[in-house]
Amino acid sequence: MSRSIVEGVGPIHPFNEFLQVGSIPSVWCPGCGIGTVVNIFIETIEKLKVDVEKLCVLSGIGCTGKIIDYLKFNSAHKVNGSVLQYASEFKMKNPDKKVVVFLNDVDLMIAGSDDLLNIGTKGMDVFVIYINNFIYYVLIEHRSLLKTPFMGTTTDMSSASPFNIPHLAKSCGARYVARWTPLHVRRLMYSMRDALQRDSLSFVEVISPCLIYYASDGIVGRSFDRMKLFHDNAVIKHNEPIENLDIRFQDKVIVGEFIDEREK
Amino acid sequence: MKAEVHIIKERCKGCGICIEICQASVLEISEELNTNGYHPPVAKNPEACINCGMCEMFCPDFAIWVTVVKEADVNV
Repeated sequence: MSRSIVEGVGPIHPFNEFLQVGSIPSVWCPGCGIGTVVNIFIETIEKLKVDVEKLCVLSGIGCTGKIIDYLKFNSAHKVNGSVLQYASEFKMKNPDKKVVVFLNDVDLMIAGSDDLLNIGTKGMDVFVIYINNFIYYVLIEHRSLLKTPFMGTTTDMSSASPFNIPHLAKSCGARYVARWTPLHVRRLMYSMRDALQRDSLSFVEVISPCLIYYASDGIVGRSFDRMKLFHDNAVIKHNEPIENLDIRFQDKVIVGEFIDEREK
Repeated sequence: MKAEVHIIKERCKGCGICIEICQASVLEISEELNTNGYHPPVAKNPEACINCGMCEMFCPDFAIWVTVVKEADVNV
C-alpha cells in the first residue's frame, strides 16, 4: 500500500480502505483504549496482508460491540452472550474463514464462557480479543466479577478474590495467551500477529482504561493519564506461570506472552 | 530523511495521546475548535519529526499519520 499523497485528492489515511470513513470519529471517550486496539488490529491485518475476504469480525454489546461499526470487514453484531456461540456456529459452517471476536466482560465472563470451552475443546481456529476495562454495569447494582487493580469503589474496597482470565482461557484450550495494555502498541501488535497465525483458539487480553466508571477518585488529570496509569503499573513477565496472573487490588498487573504452543 | 505529519482535524477527539507520545515534541494542542468542539493537535515544529510513526499507531480515530518526503523533493 502506498503511503504517499494522491495528487488532487488530498491527504488520505493509509488505513482508509479498511474503515467505514463516514462513521469516524468513533463514539468512544477521548482517552479510551478501544480505539487504539482497533488501530493496532488494522495495522496487523495490513502488515500480515491477510485476505480481507477470508476474515470475519464479530463483536458483542457495549462499547466493545461498536468496533465493527468502523471496520469495513465481513462482520456481525450479536446481542448479549451469543457472540461466541455464533462464532462457533459460523466457524463450523465456514471452515476457511478466519474468525476474530472482540469481547468484553458480559460477552465472555457472564454469558459466553461455556461457548469458549466449546470452541477450545473442539480446536476451532478462533482469535479472541478480550478488552478488559473492569466494567460490568448492565445494572448499577451488579458487581463485576473482576476487581479493579488500583481503584476501589466507595462502598466495597474489594475483598473478594479476583478472577484469573488467562487461566480460564488456558483451561478452555487456548494455544496462545497474552495480556497487554493499549500503550504496549508494538508488543500488542506482535501478539496479534502471532495469534492470527495460529490454527486453534488464541486469546489476547487487553487491559484498557474506562474513563466513566472509577473516574471519581482524583487520580486522573488528563485523559491520557488513566491509560498511562495502567501502563506504569504493568510488569512484563513472559512465560509467567498461569496461576499467578490474577489482578489483585493495588498490585502490579503482570503482562506478557504467557502461553505459545505451536501445533504439534 | 524528512517526514511530514498529516492531521485530519475533523476526526480528532482531543485525547492528546499523540502529543504525549511524540518523542520529538512536534505536536501541541491548537487554539482552534473543530465541528465536534475539540482542540485538534497542530505540528508546531514539523522539521523535528523523525517518522517514528507512534502517533499514527496510537491514534484511536485515525486522524494523524506520517509520510516520508523524498530527498529529491526536499532539495527542489
